Amino acid sequence: MQRNGKKATDLQIAICGSAGDGTIAAGDMVKRAMARAGYKVIAFDVYPPEIRGFGKCISRVRVTSEQVFSLKPKSDVLISLDDSHAIPHVGEVKDYGAVIYEDMPVTMVPEGGHISGHLLSSHLPYGVPFRELSERVTSSARSRNIAVVGYLAGLYGMPRDVFYAVISDKFKTKPAVLTKMSIQTFDAAFEVGENTFRLDEGVLKPPPKKAKHGELVMMSGNGAIAKGCMDAGLDTFFGYPITPATTIMERLAVDLPKQGKRMLQTEDEISAISAAIGAGYTGARAATATSGPGFALMSEMMGLGTMAEVPVVIFVSQRGGPSTGMPTKTEQSDLNIAVFGAAGDGQRIVLAPTNVEGCYKCAGKAFEIAERYQTPVVVLLDLYLSNRYEAVALPAKNPFAANCSKPVGKLGKDQPYHRYALTRDFISPRAIPGDKGRRHAVTGLEHDENGRPNDHTHEMMSRKRHEKLHSVVRYPGITMSKRFGDKGKVDVAIIGWGSTFGEILEAMIIARDEGIRCAAMKVVLLSPLPMEPINALLADAAEVLVPELNYEGQFANLLTGTTGRAVTRLNRVPGTPMHVEDIVDEIRRLAAKKKGRKALAAE
Amino acid sequence: MSTHSHFVIIGSGGAGSEAALIIRKRDPKCTITQITGSKLPFISRYELPRVFDGVDNWRDLLAHPPEFYDDNAITVRRNSWVDHVDAKNKKVLLRHKEEVSYDKLLVASGGGGYLPEGLREFRPLMNGLGSYEDAVKMRQALPSKGHVIMLGGDMTGLDLARTLVAVGHKVTLVAGEQLFWPHEVEEKKEKKFVTVLEAMGVKVVLGKKVMAIRKGAKGEPARRVVFDDGGGINGDAVMPFCGLMPALDFMIGANVDIERGLLVNPELKTTNDSIWAAGDVCQIWSPEENSYLFYYGWHHIKEMGEIAAINMTGGKKKISTYQDDHLYINKQGDIDSPYWMYR
Repeated sequence: MQRNGKKATDLQIAICGSAGDGTIAAGDMVKRAMARAGYKVIAFDVYPPEIRGFGKCISRVRVTSEQVFSLKPKSDVLISLDDSHAIPHVGEVKDYGAVIYEDMPVTMVPEGGHISGHLLSSHLPYGVPFRELSERVTSSARSRNIAVVGYLAGLYGMPRDVFYAVISDKFKTKPAVLTKMSIQTFDAAFEVGENTFRLDEGVLKPPPKKAKHGELVMMSGNGAIAKGCMDAGLDTFFGYPITPATTIMERLAVDLPKQGKRMLQTEDEISAISAAIGAGYTGARAATATSGPGFALMSEMMGLGTMAEVPVVIFVSQRGGPSTGMPTKTEQSDLNIAVFGAAGDGQRIVLAPTNVEGCYKCAGKAFEIAERYQTPVVVLLDLYLSNRYEAVALPAKNPFAANCSKPVGKLGKDQPYHRYALTRDFISPRAIPGDKGRRHAVTGLEHDENGRPNDHTHEMMSRKRHEKLHSVVRYPGITMSKRFGDKGKVDVAIIGWGSTFGEILEAMIIARDEGIRCAAMKVVLLSPLPMEPINALLADAAEVLVPELNYEGQFANLLTGTTGRAVTRLNRVPGTPMHVEDIVDEIRRLAAKKKGRKALAAE
Repeated sequence: MSTHSHFVIIGSGGAGSEAALIIRKRDPKCTITQITGSKLPFISRYELPRVFDGVDNWRDLLAHPPEFYDDNAITVRRNSWVDHVDAKNKKVLLRHKEEVSYDKLLVASGGGGYLPEGLREFRPLMNGLGSYEDAVKMRQALPSKGHVIMLGGDMTGLDLARTLVAVGHKVTLVAGEQLFWPHEVEEKKEKKFVTVLEAMGVKVVLGKKVMAIRKGAKGEPARRVVFDDGGGINGDAVMPFCGLMPALDFMIGANVDIERGLLVNPELKTTNDSIWAAGDVCQIWSPEENSYLFYYGWHHIKEMGEIAAINMTGGKKKISTYQDDHLYINKQGDIDSPYWMYR
């Protein structure tokens, strides 16, 4: 990253170890400390399925002085806490990057089993006796991960005080001696790092300004979802654990009871959605969270939510599928089931945030929207977004409104209440069970305005359920789509959704720097689609590119089906985030294609 | 010749690097592993003075770019230290507790800077020039127009002295027994060379024994060298250049003959059939002299690497044990040495 011809801070650190090594905790300390120091931080953790509890963990943290939107495909620093896991990732270290590893293992290493034998010639090796350092201070190797953090901080001249604060925070509920020993370990390793002659080319300049306390909060996508739920006044949550959504439930299991509310782990996903719909029916703000396989089980009850017009919010964190698929790999392949996956004409609202801050906003707004439109709202995440950490600026004032249902208003004497009354905007005034004089029936059968089963109303009611959703594209306080980059006519437009948009934005910035006229659009509202801005962008674009992490091009299909415009697809299913370079290459190719056509026309 | 043998080379200096390349040329299918304590790919020690001459990036000093090793399928295990060689089982044990098996082993671990016993206790107050990192630390320690006190006066030190003087530093050489080492200069000629050296800008102190090195007093330069006559000189840094000492500790118990260096025949094979040696680490049998001799200098080192590699891959080539490497005065009137002809 260069600014005004000078190298700006852009240091990506990957810490790799085995579950139990404290890998994720080490990454967590680095990202929190760096955010506290005033840097921009984006991070992504990968760990084994919780149900097993062993295997490879990787925490990647990108520290920058300027805002960036994605991780880099190659890290500047790789730290190995377990060589058997880290060796396959050596190729992900950039040329003249650093590899930091344990050089005093406790037992014999099998031939070829030490990472120093796998480095590329352009890598800079830093062997450190982390175990010994930890044992010297604490008489135990358990704080080895803190020694790693201390060494890293010393090597790159990171400020010590922010790490002290983070370590103190981390152990604040534990005996004070733990904090003291951890800081001593950190200091001992910091000194070693500080006195190490640095030869790699990682750049970490002093931060532009230190963040004021509370200004920026390091949050994961799932953490932001949970925070959004709490700020929106979630009353109850039902869930069944599944990677990568489990941490939403875990967070809410801690936070909801503090407010006298409940989280219940049900016996399966069918029960979870059923209970959430039941709670929504009673007027509570209710939600569940799951991943692809669990969401598939929920589809029948989703139909009930649509037919009975009950608000409920379903958070779906996508992973590699179909079936059990790849629980710890990211993918964007549940768009079809989110938009279409239920029996009958069951249109619903689908939101897909593109970053961690968006997770917070979408989570809170999803409850408002579900209430306002009396229908299930699906919030689509994916493993990359769920586990990705960013420094987020949360609003000082709670941005979410309570009770957004259309009020019933005053009924005349003997005027009956119709739960499914047909209105101009197709949204019926909503009463909840127990409201005096608002007795009504709710059913999954087709029904009349009163809620009584009636097949003859199907056409009318189908129209009601569809038409009422149209105005959601203008729902206030949430960005449903946004265009970035060049205004007016462009050579290439890139349209994306979900976590991939970060890479799209980075690619667009690179392409524009190269002189290619291009624009990017993020689409947050995936059902119903915000057609007006999408059509405007398509009209401006000579070529349209849709990068997404699924094999079929599910969003491309959706766009083509609704607009009739042919698009170029860029589909990848490696289980990892899309590479910015892949998108840039495709933009270059499309721009050249447009140029070629122009030249041909001129001839 | 083409085998699937594993050639392990301890050391990545001039001899080791040359040997790796020749082995690869002669045996395209074999596996080559170089083991070195250095964090960087090979930089000749004679390139290090350039650090004081404005070279700011270690990449500009490399003998070969990193991709050279990848292109030639030579694995260089950097920052790795050999603890022991198990010649019986043909294994090299690394400090981080990993064994590396070999079919043929070349020991080319070079030499570390020799420090006379009387000076060893003052090591923390001296700057070495054994690596790129040392050179940069030294440059950082030196103020503009700083004063460097050199002890000894071997040819590596004099090479650095030329550069330091050229970039505006002051150099005082406290000449020791190692003056002009490894050249052996007659007393009569020595005086002449010292005169030329002084004309080149190096102040030479003769006939004084260093008794101590101390930190400079407040407001004075950072170091003070104290002589046996009670006098002394102040400088910003003190650097010893007292010749080289073969780095061989790990070969003790490896079932090969060692004197001051590893003893090898003119084909550079040690007393073990699977182990060869090259560079500053070996003493070669000289039939002319009827003794084992060291051979220094860039061109010898490179030649030793080449000959060892040829013989390790089935060749039969002997090194010429005739030495004619004399110190001389060049056309510009400056001291010059064949050991400096590396560029």
